[in-house]
Amino acid sequence: MQTLFDALSLGSLYALGALGIALIFGVMRLVNFAHGDVISFSVFALLWPSTDAVALVFAGDLPWFLLIPFVLLMGAGLSVLCELIIFRRFRGANPATMMIASFALGFVIRYFLLMLFSSRPKSISLLPALSQPVEILGARIPLLQVITIVATIAILFALTAFLKRTRFGLEMRAAAENFTMARMLGVRANRVIMGAFALSGALAAAIGLILASQTGTADIQMGGAVMLMAFIATVIGGLGSLPGAVLAGFLLGAASVVMQTLLPIDARPFRDAFVYGAVILVLIFRPQGLIAAPGTKERV
Amino acid sequence: MKNLSRLTIALLSCTALATPVFAEGDKIIVGFATAESGFMQAYDKPAQDAAMIRIGEINAAGGLLGKQIEVVTADTKTDRAEGAKAGLTVVDAGADLVVVSCDYDFGAPAALAAESSGKISFFLCAESIKAGIQGVGPHSFSASVLAAVQGATMAEWSYNKKNARTFYRLLDTWTEYNKGICDGFDYMLPKLEGASLVGEDTFKNEDASIAAQITRIKSLPAEPDAIMLCTMMPGAVSAIKQIRAAGINSMILNGSGVDGSYWLSAVPDLSNFYVPVQGSIYGDDPNPDVTAFNAKYKAATGGDPSTQYVYPGYVMIDVWAKAVERAGTTETTAVVAELEKMNAEPTLFGPRTFTAELHHQNSAKYLIVDTENGKPGVVDSWTISAPIPVADLMK
Repeated sequence: MQTLFDALSLGSLYALGALGIALIFGVMRLVNFAHGDVISFSVFALLWPSTDAVALVFAGDLPWFLLIPFVLLMGAGLSVLCELIIFRRFRGANPATMMIASFALGFVIRYFLLMLFSSRPKSISLLPALSQPVEILGARIPLLQVITIVATIAILFALTAFLKRTRFGLEMRAAAENFTMARMLGVRANRVIMGAFALSGALAAAIGLILASQTGTADIQMGGAVMLMAFIATVIGGLGSLPGAVLAGFLLGAASVVMQTLLPIDARPFRDAFVYGAVILVLIFRPQGLIAAPGTKERV
Repeated sequence: MKNLSRLTIALLSCTALATPVFAEGDKIIVGFATAESGFMQAYDKPAQDAAMIRIGEINAAGGLLGKQIEVVTADTKTDRAEGAKAGLTVVDAGADLVVVSCDYDFGAPAALAAESSGKISFFLCAESIKAGIQGVGPHSFSASVLAAVQGATMAEWSYNKKNARTFYRLLDTWTEYNKGICDGFDYMLPKLEGASLVGEDTFKNEDASIAAQITRIKSLPAEPDAIMLCTMMPGAVSAIKQIRAAGINSMILNGSGVDGSYWLSAVPDLSNFYVPVQGSIYGDDPNPDVTAFNAKYKAATGGDPSTQYVYPGYVMIDVWAKAVERAGTTETTAVVAELEKMNAEPTLFGPRTFTAELHHQNSAKYLIVDTENGKPGVVDSWTISAPIPVADLMK
């Protein structure tokens, strides 16, 4: 029971990350490596710039109903800004060029944070009420784990409804399937892409919130590890496929937790090697990913 | 008077070009090849500030061997290649003592540069046995205490003073320092009659969640008396927060790396949490001189020490200066010989011993800091019953 919750909560993190990457890849074939740094940025947005060891809290003390929209807005805002200033100018460029640009952008964001906050990790107490255990079906589980899982499922439902039921969602799906055709049929490309960036940024901020309340730490590199796992999830999920990304995110989380539980103590430090080994196996047998996106099929 | 001595120094440095042998005649030079930028700066700077305080005290009292100590610096930029260069730079500037970065990996390039030039090197606060003879050479020392001593201290102290019998070992495999703490714990545990290891696990410092590890602790038949947590910042905060959020209330034992109150806001009302420290930054050190030092540090730097890793810098200059005084020269072999004669040499932060076999502390007096309801304070002090043999440290 407990292990199931562990797997689901870690999987939620990866699924949200993978979704953020897949959204952008879907509409513009860009693998956004700056995603991890957007995660870090939205956490640091809660602090005043300072290089002291003690974090000077700025918005972190807001009540939760203000804090959460604030962080989501910060993530979405930064993401849209990146699109407006950087990626818009790469519209015609090939995907490799855009990928390098996103790498560079990630570095710019990270070093900007380094400049303002120094490399020293800062401790913050975010939503401390969530650090309490609750009793569910005989298992004592940190409240945050429960909220992470519930929030992820809620986000997934909301996003599905948004994509399936609204005009904007329809345009986004159309753009993901065949961007040129969608444009010809009257979908406004810039609006759709900006929307994808805003959503992706807000998802990154949600991860940032969960990470920061779980670890109590703001570190300029905190987004990196999640970003890597999320990227792998988008690849094994089938690049550009949203359901695939989510499924793979949960699978990766589960694999990581199961390996940690089952491996003998001497092999546990190499847990990630086993997880990545499983990733390679999946890719050998399903190179197009678990659920291939229709738009990418002919490339494989 | 000051101008006059400056003039003589200037004159001497002119003649130095022609006759380098007499160049350092009237002053002793300490070279800092440490990080002034990059992430190591956060660790090097405080210890270096403490070293500067001791240098200031010595100079004010008339200097060393009647000469003033001068300081030269070179920035390693938290980079290993730059570290080697910085080491050579301070050696070329005539350093009699080369002080290198806090961490073995980042300090070693500069220490090796000093070693190959036949100079003494001191790691500011490295806690790996490699920071010394074993990893650099016979003229290299570390000013701190081995990580293994911290793990051993916590095991023995909690066994004797807190009646802990069942232990759980949780290791973060990120650094040698972390492994060192757990090695010391592993060394001590079998020596404690009736104490047992009820489980162990590993995690990685950057793990977003250690939920699976926590589930393993919770599936034990009974909550362990103590969890030996071998980790460091920033992962330590995350691990501690998650352990407590899961409702595990066992006593948590740590290495000195998690000392400091700057992170306690992340885990509100933390209790039953124990850290070994060389001196207290909380103003309650049993030795009033330490509190006086803290005030001096605040006057010099504008802030209180943020962790106990300030103190080794002070100890370093202290023991080295004593050795120079006793040798009557700054010549490397003579000073090393005097350092190696030190047996429980008293310092402000406890006795220090160096031998021809080990230029590090395999036993030390530690204060035990207990955090209750988010407030840390000294509750006890402990010295392990016997030094950890070098052979066990090399495992």
